[in-house]
Order: sequence, then structure tokens, then C-alpha cells
Amino acid sequence: MQQIGYIEIQGLRLRDDPARDACFQVVRSDAEMHEYDGAGDVARRELIHRHMSNEVTSLDIAAQMLVDFPDAPWELKMELARQCWDESRHVMVLYRRLLELGGKKGEFPISTFEWSVTSALDDIAGRLATQNRTFEAGAMDVVGGLARGFRDIEDEKTAAVLDGILADEIQHVRFANRWIKKLAQLDRRVLLKVAMAIRFLSEANARLVWKPGEVNAVGKVLRDPKETIPAVNIEDRKLAEFSDDEIAVILRQAGFRSLIPEEKGLTAEQ
Amino acid sequence: MNVKQRAEAIGTFRYIEVRLMETAALWVPLTAEMEVKVLLGRHIFDFAQHADWLGKRAFELRQPEHFTRKANDAYVGLLDSLKETHSTEEKLSSLYDVVLPGLVRRYEAYVAETDALLDAPSVVILQRIATDLRRQIEEGTRLRTELGIGTPSVNVLRQKEGAIATVVA
Repeated sequence: MQQIGYIEIQGLRLRDDPARDACFQVVRSDAEMHEYDGAGDVARRELIHRHMSNEVTSLDIAAQMLVDFPDAPWELKMELARQCWDESRHVMVLYRRLLELGGKKGEFPISTFEWSVTSALDDIAGRLATQNRTFEAGAMDVVGGLARGFRDIEDEKTAAVLDGILADEIQHVRFANRWIKKLAQLDRRVLLKVAMAIRFLSEANARLVWKPGEVNAVGKVLRDPKETIPAVNIEDRKLAEFSDDEIAVILRQAGFRSLIPEEKGLTAEQ
Repeated sequence: MNVKQRAEAIGTFRYIEVRLMETAALWVPLTAEMEVKVLLGRHIFDFAQHADWLGKRAFELRQPEHFTRKANDAYVGLLDSLKETHSTEEKLSSLYDVVLPGLVRRYEAYVAETDALLDAPSVVILQRIATDLRRQIEEGTRLRTELGIGTPSVNVLRQKEGAIATVVA
């Protein structure tokens, strides 16, 4: 049976890349990405292209969990199967928007870092903690802010796409939170697995993240990663069933910046 | 068919749908074409839902919840062979031109054979699944046309599938 193997990068055993269309250039560092400053046409297309690629990677990760953990509880597998459908829709809706903006598949480099880290883990709770509870929850913060940003520049179409995606992501994070708790109740060693997974992710981040002042492939000076932590999407994190204590920790990491609900008429970060 | 035979058939159909879910999931990271990944991603959830409906139905037929019964060796061999396909063309043709049309026929045969009144819950579920499978076949065919993906000969697999009279062990 065909399977994707492992590679060693900077002393870490990561999962080798999932298959991608030949038109895509897969890179391994943020500095090789084409992230632009501002909200010009190219910057917008790159951002949508990047998110489209991340959704493909999320699909790969959820699908691989179904393959690697056939003995997982059926209800959890149903959630993962549903996530596959959601991520598939997200890819296509972002692709549709990319084409509307004159972009094309493979226009910019992409990264599959989330796959390489998550799918290297050998237990399902660790993968849920890394992919759903960390990467996807982080994406809730990022996407919440981006949707507002697109509204600010009167790109309502892209904002609506991102907002629709965000609603789905809440459930992906919520089911992971619920299942990690359930699995830990059945076997306390699951908590150790989760802690080890998070430590592995931190280690991967520390070794592979860009250095402050590094210049990316299109000339953008990359700021200190600590300065680029997005404002926390408290409202959606609560819906995803993060506890108040957990949100407090995340807020502290983000310098106490949070997204304020839009219905209150505020759009700025606090 | 008596209740036990119905449960065995439904449990076997569930086994097949779970295997198809796992096969489509296996193929997603291995497949390069983005649009094909997306097609498979959508169909993973279709197969999961089918398995879920069948598992609940089996429970109503005096079996444990999510009752799953391994198919006979010949059909298991056919499903195993899907995992050994390499090219996208071969994967899609095997699934959408052979296995799914064969499954539609098998579900229709069950519906024709069972007591449509006594076993109506099974009939409704299998008819819904057959409708989904036909849609999946159509989507698989349309995408291949759109992307210009070839349709290699799958006659050997088709003959194998056709030679298996029943999937129930």
C-alpha cells in the first residue's frame, strides 16, 4: 500500500510532503513565501492563494487521520469525514474567488508545514491538539481579522467567503476540544501525548520559523514572530469550547489583543 | 430473507462503505490534482454517512450499533486492489467506473429481493445511498472530462467485480 514517508529537517522527523499539482512550488520556509505588505491586487491574490493551499493541507491532514487511526471511535471518524467535506468546499470557494480576482492555481509558492508536523505524530489526540486545536484555532484568530480587513477595503465578497469558512472552522476546533477531553477521560496518558505533541510543534516552530529582520522572496522584511501573533478571536474560541482559563493564556501570548464583536460597531483591535 | 440475513447484508454493505471511505482518504494526500483531492474529500463524507445510516439500521435488526460484517474474500480482494492503484486515472476509473456502478447494482438487487414493506427502512436507506452513488459517478465522470484525465481500461477489474455473485460472506 502506498503511504507518504518521513523526512528529517533540522533534526526533526517530519512527514514528507503530500502530493501537489506540478504547477505549485512547495517551499519549506516563510522567507520563500511571497507574502506582501498592503492590500493591493497581488497581495490579495497571494493571501487567498495561501489560504486555499492551507485548506488543501487541512483536507490532507483530516483524511490521513482516517487512514492512520482506523480504530478511532466511529463518531470521531464521522467528524473527521465531515471535516474533509468542509475543507473541500473551502478549497473550491477560495479557488473560485481567486479566479474572480484574476489569479490562478500555482501563482505563488505554497507551504505544507502543518501537514509535515501534524502527520508526523503517531497518536490521534496529538494530531487533534496540533491541527484542530492549535493551527485551526489560530486560523480562527487570523481569518476573523482578515474578514474585517477585507470589509475595510470594501471587498465584501472575499470577506463573506472568509466569514463562511470561519463558521465551519469553529466546529473543527470544537469537536477536537471535546474529543481530546473524552479520550483523556478514558486514558489519562492521552494528556501526556497531547503535551508531547504541543512540545513537538513548539520545537518545530522554533527551528523552522523565520528570524526577525529576514527578508522574504518578494522583499518584505519579516517582523519578529512574537509581534505578528494575531488578535484573539475570543467570541469564536468560546463557541469552540475553549475554557476561560485557556483563553486567558492565549490572550496573554497575544499581548491581550482581541477582536471585538462587529455587532457592537467596533472594528479596531483593542 | 429473514431478519438475520437482512442484518448480515446491511452489516456487509456497511463494511464496504467504510472501506471506500478509507480508500478515498488514503488517496487524498497521494493525489496531486487539487480538484481530484476535493472530489474525494467530498465523497469521503458521503461514504461515512452511508456507513452511519447502515450501522444504525443494523442495530434495528438485533445487531450491535455500527455492526460491521466483513465482505467475502473475493470482494475484500477487490477492495484491497484499490489500494494498490497508482495513477490518478487508474484510481478514478477503478472507483467510478467499476466499484460504484457495481455497488449500485448490488443495492438495487437487495431492494428487489427484500420485502419492501417489512424491510422498508433498509429499502429507503439503500435507495438514498444508490442516488448518492449515481451522483458520485456522474461527478467523477464530469471532473475527468473537465481536467482531461484519461480513462484507462479497467476491464480486468470489471470482470472480477462482475464475477462476484454476492458480497456477503
